[in-house]
Amino acid sequence: MKTARVIYEDGKHKWIALVRDPNRPDYLIDSNEYLVIDDDDSLLLDPGGNEVFPAVFSALSTEFDPRKITKLFASHQDPDIISSLALWLEFNPQVKCYISWLWASFVPHFGGNKETFISIPDGGMDIMIGSQRLQAIPAHYLHSSGNFHLYDPKAKILFSGDVGAALLPPGEDDLFFEDFDRHIRHAEGFHRRWMGSDKAKRDWCQRVSQLDIEMMCPQHGAIYRGDQVRRFIDWFSHLEVGIVKG
Amino acid sequence: MATVTQDTGRELRRIVRTNEEIKRVVATAFKINLMAMNAIFLAKRAGQTALGFGVLSNELRRFAMDLQKQMSQLREMTYGSVNTVTALVKQARLNRVLERARKESSGSGRSLIDEFMRTRHNLVFARHREQIAALNRRLSQMIADTAQLVELGSVLARSAKIEAAYGGAFSTSLMQVSSDFERTIGEIQRSLESLTKHQDATL
Repeated sequence: MKTARVIYEDGKHKWIALVRDPNRPDYLIDSNEYLVIDDDDSLLLDPGGNEVFPAVFSALSTEFDPRKITKLFASHQDPDIISSLALWLEFNPQVKCYISWLWASFVPHFGGNKETFISIPDGGMDIMIGSQRLQAIPAHYLHSSGNFHLYDPKAKILFSGDVGAALLPPGEDDLFFEDFDRHIRHAEGFHRRWMGSDKAKRDWCQRVSQLDIEMMCPQHGAIYRGDQVRRFIDWFSHLEVGIVKG
Repeated sequence: MATVTQDTGRELRRIVRTNEEIKRVVATAFKINLMAMNAIFLAKRAGQTALGFGVLSNELRRFAMDLQKQMSQLREMTYGSVNTVTALVKQARLNRVLERARKESSGSGRSLIDEFMRTRHNLVFARHREQIAALNRRLSQMIADTAQLVELGSVLARSAKIEAAYGGAFSTSLMQVSSDFERTIGEIQRSLESLTKHQDATL
């Protein structure tokens, strides 16, 4: 099963990362899921695919009552992001899923109905969790054409979906890293190939560099902290993207 | 839970088989319709010498149309079964994942899944099973009704063969047409027997 790690806590406001399942089959890409809690309210970010549901559910239930999961946030439409939707709905048919308006009629193929989805407009929107206002930040074409990240101004955490993702080799898969240059090598190929638009990349860098970020949490790989966040934005802004090798 | 999944898979395969068999009967029923039309024209050309055959070929055409109607109802019914079984397959798949989640969880997480699966099993699976059983009963009844209808068709084809013998100069052609009827209806009967066998295995 995955491990639930508290990465931020201030009173009743908490971020939990659900990470690293030692039993994950190697044909499935590893993914990080995050749970934001404020008081009794919560938001599960990129809840993951069907196949990882058991590991996510079991890890989550060690820290939080899964029946209280009433809101999901899907950065985009990929199966490793949201194909477990039907299972979360089994536990609570009232679950709401925040997702780009672009995918609101595609993702119901994974489950849910008209009432399930809350469409995020292209410009983004605020999402209230307990008394905290989180912000859905546009990240279109990085990599999906309807894509959002989530910023928490209180915790100063940016959930960055596939941006910042790294495919870590065994033995180098800690949740945090120390050596930026060493780590970024595992992110380079992924970003060159998966991030399709240079203009979208520059817009995103511009947008997030105005935010006060202490932690940047991607859906794959390790979490960036402190100065590593600024270094990543700088590195990414100079990276040539949308390239097929060979 | 593995049994539920296996049962569901078996049920889906059975429905696919039934549907294929029904498709075969529908195609043959369409052929009979054309054959009956031909027989009517032939009887008209033969005139007075094939009056009896003409009456029978009209009856055969009516039979072919009834058979087609019956077949389209059968197809609708199997479509309903496919829907129900597909829902069951989906539920069984979710159950497999939930079962894995149960094994990985402990404490309140596990109790929650236990309770949830119990309720779910009673509600969802029982309802779907009930629906499938009802569909199967209706399907069997419909196949039995169709078999009866086809039996009538078989009698008509045999009578047409007898009437063909009195067809004078047209006797050979009329005999040929009625033999075709008999052979084709025989094919339908064999398909229906096979359908009945599939159904009997489920009831």
